[in-house]
Amino acid sequence: MKAAAQKQTAERVGRTINGLLLFILALICVLPFMHMIAKSFSGASAVSAGRITFWPLDATLNTYRYVLQDGLFFSSFKNSVTITLAGTFVALAITTMAAYPLSKQYFRGRKVILMLYVFTMLFYGGMVSIYIFMRSLNLLNTLLSQIIPLALSQYNLFIMKTFFEGIPEPIEESAHIDGAGPIRTLVSIVLPLSLPSLATIALFYAVAYWNSYYHAMLFVTRADVKPLQMYLYELITTAQNLYEVDPVIASGLSGGGMQAAAIVVSTMPILMVYPFVQKYFVKGLTIGSVKG
Amino acid sequence: MQGFLKSHSVPGKMRFGQYFRRYWSLYLLSIPGLIYVVGYKILPLIGLQLAFKNFDMFAGQGILDSLFKSEWVGLKHFESIFRSRNFTHLLANTLTISLMKLAINFPLAIVLALMLNEVKNRIFARVTQTVVYMPHFLSWVIIHGIFVTLLSSNGVVNHTLRAVSGKTIDFYTNPQIFRWLLVLTESWKETGWSAIVYLAGLTAIDEELYDAAYVDGAGYLKRLWHVTLPGIIPIISLMLLLRMGGILGAGHEQILVMYNSTVYATADVLSTYIYRIGIGKLDFSVATALGLFESTVGFILMVSCNGISRKVLGRSLW
Repeated sequence: MKAAAQKQTAERVGRTINGLLLFILALICVLPFMHMIAKSFSGASAVSAGRITFWPLDATLNTYRYVLQDGLFFSSFKNSVTITLAGTFVALAITTMAAYPLSKQYFRGRKVILMLYVFTMLFYGGMVSIYIFMRSLNLLNTLLSQIIPLALSQYNLFIMKTFFEGIPEPIEESAHIDGAGPIRTLVSIVLPLSLPSLATIALFYAVAYWNSYYHAMLFVTRADVKPLQMYLYELITTAQNLYEVDPVIASGLSGGGMQAAAIVVSTMPILMVYPFVQKYFVKGLTIGSVKG
Repeated sequence: MQGFLKSHSVPGKMRFGQYFRRYWSLYLLSIPGLIYVVGYKILPLIGLQLAFKNFDMFAGQGILDSLFKSEWVGLKHFESIFRSRNFTHLLANTLTISLMKLAINFPLAIVLALMLNEVKNRIFARVTQTVVYMPHFLSWVIIHGIFVTLLSSNGVVNHTLRAVSGKTIDFYTNPQIFRWLLVLTESWKETGWSAIVYLAGLTAIDEELYDAAYVDGAGYLKRLWHVTLPGIIPIISLMLLLRMGGILGAGHEQILVMYNSTVYATADVLSTYIYRIGIGKLDFSVATALGLFESTVGFILMVSCNGISRKVLGRSLW
């Protein structure tokens, strides 16, 4: 009896330590961001002196005023919103349409089409090839050149296909018997049943578009078509330089503070949506990632 | 499964004409996706011929015409690439960073999943999960911004170090330390997200196995060894194989954003170099040749690892 009690105590201690460690890990995830928020609201001299930890000193809104008034910030924000909305819509449409036939075992040609998607997922044509593609179509320096590259993720396609395969056969069967063709079955029966999955995939795409800068680095040089992430990248590199050389810029703002404000503003859309949709993300990841 | 097969024996047996009349719309639905992969993924592959040509921007009218009219040079670019010391250096950097990430971040995700799995308080579990998954949704640009702010010579970390020990650490300019920065920022971003797959595997383990082990007097470590690990070994092996398949990808989006010329010695990898000479200097031929090497080896590795996985584990990605 005594041994059992000892063991129970040991497990309780273990559990407490585990909880404590997880708490610390969670802090490690959150604190850097808290630091950014604190910095973004702090006065220039406190930022330059490196006195900010996790709460603002000499609180000010000037950094935000400066960032939000910056024409380039505004235009890049607008570009990213456009790219994200249009891209997510197009990508979701293509993915849904492509995934549905592939989820049907009786779809003739299924194997060949699947092979095509798998091959293009595994073999990357190289950045020069797609650069030439964009350039020959006169798409350099357009928003379209930032939408096309992410308009179909094979990975999302396979997740979607797995979702569709999970819909019980008899439900669709009844629609067939009523004379509905595949498209009507998809629109009136399958899609309404798949709303959570559609939401998951839409969010995967939206995050990918919102965060993307790689293709902008390949295809965009003109300031007015740059996405938000690229604006940030340039701000971070230049602000960093200014910060290192001359902490107090002419306007009385610190490079670090501005940088922090821009980062906080750009992350807000994701941080505001994320907690509500997290469970869908998780489901999407675990359902489709692995074929059993 | 049997019922499923039976219900479709009808479309399976039809002649194609009859089948097509009934199911043509499945092909219609496939068209946008096919146009996309053929148009954007397959057609641009004609650009790969540049690896065997001397690209001359002015050989023809417009870039596509120049591509076709440039002169063939056989394997010249590959020969010079494989002979150059720079190539060995890039390959070594790529593999080193990749293996460091594998060695640190791969086990870290499993440990985190094990830890999360032990939490019995549901609210605490949910809050912790939400928080540790969060960094995955931030872009590398944002993460770079956050860590530059923390770790630059004027950042809070070096301020504290200076106050405590009088010394500072050059996270962004010391080539050795910068590699660790790459590894650890990736841990920060992806560990939580990577843990999800294992966590799903852990929750699928039969609770009765634990109860039985408990009654038999097995302590935590024994249960971990005899119940938990056997339960998730298949998923661990699969994930490991997939990572091995992607070993040439050291994380170029991350490096492209985070590195600078002072750390090229340790942080310049194949794909960042390709970017600099291809898009930066418009040296298309060498960039294409290097890219073709990277893509081909990557493709072979992925297919082999998936094949091994299918054979040994009975699971695969496709």
